[in-house]
Amino acid sequence: MGNTLIKIAVPVIGLAAALVIALVGYFVVQSWWSQPPAVLGFGDGPTQPIAFPHTVHVTTAGLDCQFCHRTVSTDEAAGVPAVAQCRFCHDFTRITGEQSESPTAEAEIAKLIGDLIEGPDPVNWARVHRLPDHVQFVHAPHIQQGFSCSTCHGDIASMEVVEQVRNLKMRDCVDCHRNNEAPTDCTTCHY
Amino acid sequence: MATRAQTQPKPPAHKWGMVIDLDRCTGCQACVIACQAENNVPINDEKSFLDGRVIEWIRVERYWEGDFPDVKARFLPVLCQHCDNAPCESVCPVYATYHNNEGLNVQVYNRCVGTRFCGNNCPYHARLFNYWEPVWPEDLRNQLNPDVTVRTRGIMEKCSFCIQRIRRATRGGKKVEDQAFNPACVQACPTDAMTFGDLLNEDSRVSRMWEDERAYRVLEALGTNPSVKYLKQVDADA
Amino acid sequence: MPLTRRQFLKWAGATGVGAVVFNGCRVPDHEIAVQSPVEMPEDLVTGRDNYYATAAQLGTASEGLLVRVMEGRAKKIEGNPDHPVNTGKHGIRAEALLQALYHPDRIKRPLLRIAKGGPFRRITWQEGIERLTAILQAREPGQTLIATPPLRGRIADVARGFAEGSGARLLGFDPLGGDQVVREAARRLYGQTAQPDFDIARAAYVLNFGADFLGTWGNPTRYARGYGEFRQGARRSRGKLTHIGARYSVTAAAADRWVYAPPGSEGLIAMAVANAVLDGGDLPDADAARALTGGRGAAALQAFAPSRVAAQTGVSEDVIREIARELAEYKPALIIGGGPAAAQANGLFNMTAVYALNALAGSVNRPGGLIFNPPPRSQEVPAASLREWRQALTDMRSGDVTAVLARDANLVHGLPGALDATGALRSVDTIVSFSAFLDETAEMADLILPCSTPLEEWGTDEPNPGPGYATIGFQQPAVNAYHDTLSFGDALLRAAGELGVAALPWENMREATRALAQELHEQRRGSVVQPTFAEFWKRTLERGGWWDTGATADASRPALPQLPAQAPGVPQSADASRYPYFLAAFEGVGVGAGQYAHLPWAQSAPDPITTAAWGTWVELNPHTADELGVKNNDIVIVESATGRTLRAPVYISPAAPPQVAAIPMGQGHRAFTGYAARRGANPLDIMEPAEEAETGAFAWGATRVRISATNRRNVVPKLEGIEPARQLHGEELIFTHTPGRKSEQDH
Repeated sequence: MGNTLIKIAVPVIGLAAALVIALVGYFVVQSWWSQPPAVLGFGDGPTQPIAFPHTVHVTTAGLDCQFCHRTVSTDEAAGVPAVAQCRFCHDFTRITGEQSESPTAEAEIAKLIGDLIEGPDPVNWARVHRLPDHVQFVHAPHIQQGFSCSTCHGDIASMEVVEQVRNLKMRDCVDCHRNNEAPTDCTTCHY
Repeated sequence: MATRAQTQPKPPAHKWGMVIDLDRCTGCQACVIACQAENNVPINDEKSFLDGRVIEWIRVERYWEGDFPDVKARFLPVLCQHCDNAPCESVCPVYATYHNNEGLNVQVYNRCVGTRFCGNNCPYHARLFNYWEPVWPEDLRNQLNPDVTVRTRGIMEKCSFCIQRIRRATRGGKKVEDQAFNPACVQACPTDAMTFGDLLNEDSRVSRMWEDERAYRVLEALGTNPSVKYLKQVDADA
Repeated sequence: MPLTRRQFLKWAGATGVGAVVFNGCRVPDHEIAVQSPVEMPEDLVTGRDNYYATAAQLGTASEGLLVRVMEGRAKKIEGNPDHPVNTGKHGIRAEALLQALYHPDRIKRPLLRIAKGGPFRRITWQEGIERLTAILQAREPGQTLIATPPLRGRIADVARGFAEGSGARLLGFDPLGGDQVVREAARRLYGQTAQPDFDIARAAYVLNFGADFLGTWGNPTRYARGYGEFRQGARRSRGKLTHIGARYSVTAAAADRWVYAPPGSEGLIAMAVANAVLDGGDLPDADAARALTGGRGAAALQAFAPSRVAAQTGVSEDVIREIARELAEYKPALIIGGGPAAAQANGLFNMTAVYALNALAGSVNRPGGLIFNPPPRSQEVPAASLREWRQALTDMRSGDVTAVLARDANLVHGLPGALDATGALRSVDTIVSFSAFLDETAEMADLILPCSTPLEEWGTDEPNPGPGYATIGFQQPAVNAYHDTLSFGDALLRAAGELGVAALPWENMREATRALAQELHEQRRGSVVQPTFAEFWKRTLERGGWWDTGATADASRPALPQLPAQAPGVPQSADASRYPYFLAAFEGVGVGAGQYAHLPWAQSAPDPITTAAWGTWVELNPHTADELGVKNNDIVIVESATGRTLRAPVYISPAAPPQVAAIPMGQGHRAFTGYAARRGANPLDIMEPAEEAETGAFAWGATRVRISATNRRNVVPKLEGIEPARQLHGEELIFTHTPGRKSEQDH
């Protein structure tokens, strides 16, 4: 009877263990290869301190990316606008979210005028696209060569919550550089 | 699968080089600290000195000649010589160090696996190994230069001729004026002992000094063909 | 409840497998935060770097700086190419201002001691300022002492106004006394109030007595600028440098000829050189010669005949005559002196003799010579002499001074140990510290109002020595205050507001700086001339300051005084037979006399001569070491006539004179942050509190010591020997070049 228990338990435990190892292995390999599989929230964009909908700003308001991300064609980083710039529209012209269909819009916009704006503390946006430390990515030349933001960032205009769509692994970068006769010297990105 | 475009390698646009005038150098260490600030070099604490594990991408070596009272200390600032025939490059098993088409001896941190073969093979001892994870107190991390990778434990590092500044200055194939930018050490040097520039530009200051009658290379007989030349110290009374 | 990635990772991290598998996925929160500040000027967008021009006082040196700032964080300091003093170059201490700003051990907020000797509690600035004003109001004039480092520029105006308005005494503290003796010599000889500049770049010959002007003395970055040109500048022939001094310093190493002279004998040698110049007959400036000797020529300096001086000092007559010949031959010739040569009981005699040589050489206020500076616009708070400090300590003990306000004036570490500054401070009722770091003096404080670092402050800096014309570096904050601190000026102005000091109408240093800018704007001259004040202000801040090459020193000067016919008698400080060695203490290349010991870069910059860092060592001649029976790294006890001792390991240097024990200053801190505390020894502690006879300046170069061996060892941390020798047979690393000869190898 003890034997039967063992006979059942061993394969069950063994199978379970194998399953866990396989799952973890799949997760690791998949993450290494491209992105972590979209389970347990891994595929989602991070929660932001202000639920900023790019949809409304790009589609409805018709803003160009560079209206807010001003240094994208000149500098390393595309740049996040100062809160003061948000208030350029949301304070002076009184776009308060009253007209919005979204029930939370008013509360989210109110953050700009409420807590956040009172103190000296910045808005700590959560980074969505994050390259490893040893990669020095510079936006400017890509934009100057005529690539659109959506080449790498996908259709941000239709994203309620911004998430990463392209895996942005080195193979991806290098393939694109080769196809476009861009430099592939290691020190183009690594220094 | 993307097709790989077969392109002819473009002719090199630059050949970076440096000339150090030993007659101007006073050994003041300004270059050493400027380099450490620019390149996120870990703080060399007392233990690193005692263990012989000091990381200085440029260091000032001091050589004694004679004894009191006829004594002379001579200084030699040593950085990676960016040799055209670099002994370090051929021994790297993972191709983490190689020569690029701008005359730079490149260290790719993410490729390096830390065999230290290159360091052993460098006759100038210009390559430095991270025996430990570099640590900065949280507050001091604010100073770190975002343009330069912080190296982790177990990899080699060395002078890059401030490649982040080169990249910034030449981005998008921009034409660079001579002296439009300089590595941190050259920029700091109070006596202007160091000159940096493009050796392919015949009018650059470094090209003119390259042919100076006092110019020599350290350990020239090895045939490493460095991109750094030194100008001999003048000894009026010799 | 939806499981977010963050939560999942937290959960996963808590399990064993998760910890291994997912550790690589977890990113510290601060690294995924992209900061979007609330208010920014339109040009300042995150992710882009900005350069702010500012100015900094670094002890006796001044440097105009550019600070690279990204996302509100200072990243790199560079020399400001526009600033006339350092023209784009900078030294170690300027770079290390970044580490002062982001130092992990900074005092982050005002602190009040709960009970004497007890712990601190946090207070607000409002409470701190109220307590400060209460301390001042409760005291009679003169009972409060404000101790600061020597101050220049706007902060000097504010500190002076505050002291006058609140009835406090204001004393400048520099462990090495600033360049008080040099200035006094320049005043007596040439009627100058500001320290003169040296036109090294255009000099053909430089004769230097003691000053390590390429390493730590005066304005080293500026002098090094000149030195580069002096050696290999275009359109000129190579200059020649002779250094006379007791320690083989950076300047001595750079010199073509180094002459060892026992400390205190510099004046005799300068006089002997003067005698030989006058004797040679070929006088560059006959008028000056007549004035200096009362028309009697070499006869007036009979007491300083080269042969006599040679016998007194051990410097050979040939060398003295050779130098005199060179002074007459090379034109223009510049003569510099300072540092240990001035810090002697006969320091003023030494400096008078040294700087008078400039008049004999005809290089006063001429290109390639001594260039006079106009008096600064803001009157300085100069370094007080040791005599004044001794008096101040006496007043503390007697109860005449009952409150001490100290800002970066570390009396405990910086005054000679024999004066027992600690004891004097203990007898004071209240100590207020404005220091940004908990140094030994701040540790004794009852109230700490921590000041900001130079990169967070408004103000101006007027270099002294300046570049030969009126120069005002403007200091603006490159970053916002990193902690809850105020600049020293702002704290004083707030307190002045509460006390109602009429002389200080400004609310803060920004206003005080703007008021000065307004005055400069109204002059409509100099480097920045703009139609409106707003434009002037913007342009001045952009350029890092205002200077006026036309505003030079008054060219007329009083007649030269006659040189003394006899050397002053020097009181023998200690018996040479019992204390056979000269203590040649020198400033650390980074850490100075201890003011910069808290900065890791200043600590880790190797001393150029020994390549040692992070410690204290005793440089000894190989023969001296043999006699004492010590080897490299053996600890020796160095004792002065005060009975105080220090212990430090030996560094055997081939350049050390046999009679000299050279010891770097800067270490031996009990406190002052984790980078400085309990490290090395402090030679200031064992020095005799001797004074220069006339000015009362600290004669820190005049101590004699004896040395005894111990049987302990402590390895000196140094670069030397880390890399194995790697010379090829027959190939040298450093070649030298002799003009007119085919280049040859050097041995």
